[in-house]
Amino acid sequence: MVRYGMVIDLNRCIGCRSCAVICKIHNSLPPGTWWHRVETVGSREHHVSVGKFPDLSEVYLPVPCMHCDNPPCVKVCPVGATWKREDGVVLVDFERCIGCRYCMTACPYGVRQFNWEDKEKAIEKGFRTAGFDGEYVDGYRHGYPLDHRTKDGRLVYTPERPRGVVEKCTFCVQYIDQGLKPACVRGCPGNARIFGDLDDPNSEISKVLRDKAYIRLLEDVGTEPKVFYILPVRKKGRGIISYSTKLEVKR
Amino acid sequence: MGISRRDFLKISAIGGTLLSGLGSYYFQRVAGIQQSGVELKTVRSVCSPNCTGACGFEALVYNGRIETLTQAADYPESEYDPRGCLRGQSMVNLIYGPDRLKKPLIRVGKRGEGKFRAVSWDEALDHVADKLVEIMRKYGPESVAISIQVPGTGYVHKGAMVRLASMFGWSSLHGYTMNGDLPAFWSQTFGVQTEEFESLEWANSRYVVIFGSNVMVTRLPDAKFLTLAAERGAKIAVVDPNFTPTAAKADEWVQINPSTDSALALGIVREIINKGLYDEEFIKTYTDMPLLVRLDNKKRLRAQDVKRLKEVVEKMDVPEYREVFVIYDVNNGFKPVNPETLERDFDPILEGEFEVKLVDGKTVKVKPVFQLLKEEVEKYTPEKVAEIITPPNRDKSEYTETIRRLAVEMATVKPLHIIYGASNYQWFHGDLKGRALSLIVALTGNIGKSGAGISTYAGQFKIRWPLGAWWSFKGRKNKWVTYLLWMNKEYRESEEFKKYNRETPYPKNDVKAFLFGWNNPFDQHNMANRMIEYAESGELELIVAIDFQMTTSCKWADVVLPGVTWYEKYELTATILHPYVQIQQPAIEPLFECMPEIWIFKELAKRLVERWDDEELKRRIAEFYPDSQLFMEEEEAIRGGRWNLKLAREIANKASLKAIELMLETGGELVEGITLEKLLKGPVRLNLPTPNKRQIPFWEQINLKKPFPPQSFPVPLSKTARFVKSGRIEFYKEEDVFIDLGETLPVHKDPFVDTEYKVNPEAKMKYKYVYITRNALYRVHSTHSNNITMLELQDFKPRVWMNPQTAKENGIKEGDLVEVYNDRGKVYGYAVFDTGLHPGVIIFEQGWWSRYLRGTSYNSLTYPWIKATHLAYFVPGIWEPTTAWNEAACAVRKVQM
Repeated sequence: MVRYGMVIDLNRCIGCRSCAVICKIHNSLPPGTWWHRVETVGSREHHVSVGKFPDLSEVYLPVPCMHCDNPPCVKVCPVGATWKREDGVVLVDFERCIGCRYCMTACPYGVRQFNWEDKEKAIEKGFRTAGFDGEYVDGYRHGYPLDHRTKDGRLVYTPERPRGVVEKCTFCVQYIDQGLKPACVRGCPGNARIFGDLDDPNSEISKVLRDKAYIRLLEDVGTEPKVFYILPVRKKGRGIISYSTKLEVKR
Repeated sequence: MGISRRDFLKISAIGGTLLSGLGSYYFQRVAGIQQSGVELKTVRSVCSPNCTGACGFEALVYNGRIETLTQAADYPESEYDPRGCLRGQSMVNLIYGPDRLKKPLIRVGKRGEGKFRAVSWDEALDHVADKLVEIMRKYGPESVAISIQVPGTGYVHKGAMVRLASMFGWSSLHGYTMNGDLPAFWSQTFGVQTEEFESLEWANSRYVVIFGSNVMVTRLPDAKFLTLAAERGAKIAVVDPNFTPTAAKADEWVQINPSTDSALALGIVREIINKGLYDEEFIKTYTDMPLLVRLDNKKRLRAQDVKRLKEVVEKMDVPEYREVFVIYDVNNGFKPVNPETLERDFDPILEGEFEVKLVDGKTVKVKPVFQLLKEEVEKYTPEKVAEIITPPNRDKSEYTETIRRLAVEMATVKPLHIIYGASNYQWFHGDLKGRALSLIVALTGNIGKSGAGISTYAGQFKIRWPLGAWWSFKGRKNKWVTYLLWMNKEYRESEEFKKYNRETPYPKNDVKAFLFGWNNPFDQHNMANRMIEYAESGELELIVAIDFQMTTSCKWADVVLPGVTWYEKYELTATILHPYVQIQQPAIEPLFECMPEIWIFKELAKRLVERWDDEELKRRIAEFYPDSQLFMEEEEAIRGGRWNLKLAREIANKASLKAIELMLETGGELVEGITLEKLLKGPVRLNLPTPNKRQIPFWEQINLKKPFPPQSFPVPLSKTARFVKSGRIEFYKEEDVFIDLGETLPVHKDPFVDTEYKVNPEAKMKYKYVYITRNALYRVHSTHSNNITMLELQDFKPRVWMNPQTAKENGIKEGDLVEVYNDRGKVYGYAVFDTGLHPGVIIFEQGWWSRYLRGTSYNSLTYPWIKATHLAYFVPGIWEPTTAWNEAACAVRKVQM
């Protein structure tokens, strides 16, 4: 059985936000909606240093849906609209979702979004906020243009962004079902991402996870996320030997 | 209002039912939009804003529209996959954005007001042709100036504008110097325009030192090769006044005062020399270090002036752009040096002082360049350098140690690659810094080898092979106008200019008409608002813009001609970050009445020829298209009443493909065997003369002992070889202006002393901060300024970055709207604090269109400084005055609302 997962190597991540943008364009997300975010850990402003001068650092953290093996969002969904597919991908059936937002409360990662308004309104509002008089020419809309349904007919991708439903990263289900990797993986100029089958011991992702130390976000809450992060190596102190026999303790 | 959880659930449940009802309405709509049987297709093109990444992208087309863009990831060396970034991925926001131009426009309001009437192509083109001919008659054709940007991204269409200019002898502005991207040290030291590694080579270095370049933000598709170098064990060090994402990824960040890199470099050079860590063989063979310099006139000793050598030299066959200089050989004393080869038939002494008898009977003292250099750098002791480079909040004694350590590391860990950033060389003394940094790689023998060298990565205007067959009409030549001279009237009239200018031309009646394509000069180049003044005063009599969207500059234009994006035409690209030749292909028909630029220039040419007395042009105008049959085909359609936009576009596409073929067929060795057919299948590597065709600068010089410089296309070797007459890497410059300014050898000069403080001594107290306009993650210069997704990522707000200490000094809180200003201008933005920034620096991210800045401009603070050494020769875009954006002092204050 296939079980999809993703590795993000934070040593390679340069915080360029290409993953967030390609996700937005491909999944037809209007202004105000992001399925994928990248921020600088500990900083209010992206790409601004943190730490005590001059020992500064910037670590960038991309956050898609974790596609948990033990997904709390699934458990609380009263109508079975959000579920974990047999390949481990957590999806939302837009036709079944009633917009109760229990799943948003349950998700510890804050990656779910509720469509408060119609996509058209969101676009109009976005352009207005940006100071434009108009919007896209001739009613243009970006994004993968075709609906996508699972084998059992559930609507899991649509270029429309229906009002009143909850949505999130789908690992680009419309692509993985065609044998393509998710857009953020194909679009990462830092080659920081590996996507593949966790159950295949010979897959690239399995090999990397065997060889390298990784963490998952909020592991202690028991969600069993399938997005794995390879932690950045701290530079300070590398190559320096510090040795003394005396124990020095500040009292 | 308190709502209990229970109530909330109830409300949600009702809302949910209601909303899910609404939802089904959407699904019906979607079903209506998605037509069954309509095919999805992908078309590969090349992302080509004024960035030289040249990233292959695949457009997914559905119903005649581009729905998504994805990196093509089809490079033969898969390490390059995927090339492309957030801006290229969201390009649809511009192609279909609200600023997209629809029809040709003629101005009806005041200049800059943005009021136009939409007109037909005929009316617009006739109007432009009438005005141009009027100006050409009144002031001469050279008073018409054109500007294109980054020609490497568009050999066909950008070339068509140059071709048009060549027909009538118009002046061209060279984008490389206009942008300040020309690193002047290259021509001074190596005799070339610019050289650099392809980014794949970065990973082969074992030590990479980045002097003021933010690769991790400004070179996104290539950034990973630095990561790769680190993974393979290389050390990455970043020398920068400011902590950047690149510094965050490096092993070491060396924070220094702004524009003091030359002091650091010379301190390192002193250590390398004094510790004997230099590569003696290398400097004897490839550099001018052994050449003798006369102490009486500071010029190099010429063999023809030496009594003993005169006869020998007269028998040597040396081209007129070379000189035969002299070394002192261990065994044979004074010996002439053949500048046409680097094969060494001498063993020179590098240190000491000698006396030589000249032809005129005089005896003069001479010293090798190395001896002079050694004496010069003696001043740059670690302690002295630490005085110069250590930021106010840091410990100087730590810096003396760092200088010593860096010197040993850089001299001993090989291969060493230095990346010298544009933000660092776009200063008045940027050339001195580059010359000093080049010394490090030359002394350590780190040139011409895989992973070893010095690179600069901005602009890269150099074209990759000779393009004359297309770019010049029937061998006619362009004239040139230096951008800074146009902007700096005072300097043009100054004594210094008259004294040092040797060959830099200027149109005798000034620039009167300005035509530009693919650039936004009224945001990006209105230095100290000069360009806007010329437009407002009417000194500029005609302004014509060609673009695909309504930029700030289009608003200043009299006529706007709508062009297309790189997904609406055929185009040939070959830039510098990687040596792949690629083509752009039309994924969609041009939107509205937008037209491929080759057609626009063809039509302009046709209409100008009708109005201009030039028999040859009248007779041969059909040849503007590379195949005159195509030209005739369109003319016949016009005569027969069959002409329409679609037909004109089809013909223009055929003409573009012909132009590609023409450039490949006439391009010589570098493109031999590269055909249109192959390019239609994917990227093809240039035939570089190196192992595996890798882009390794000076490989032939170092390994095949060919003299410096390699040719910089399109100019003939004779033009550039005279910069390094010895045929070697030259650190000693003997032209009078270098002698007068004390810059015969690389030295350190403090910023602002020869610029801001010279013109206004009060500036030192009044404008305490350095005004840096860095490149943003969210724009390619000013392209994508209006990209809705990029705006969203910035909360729709321009920012001003500063150290919290700087903010405190000025009573500024984080998030305040602040004004950065000097006597020349001002710009607004919201304050962001970063302790990693040098306390003497204020940063604004260039590229914001004026409309996002309450009508202000970040380039109203900058100034068109001209350095006299840049007038010693004139070769457009190679040796020419170049813009020093960062040489601007400023102050900052909170805006009182």
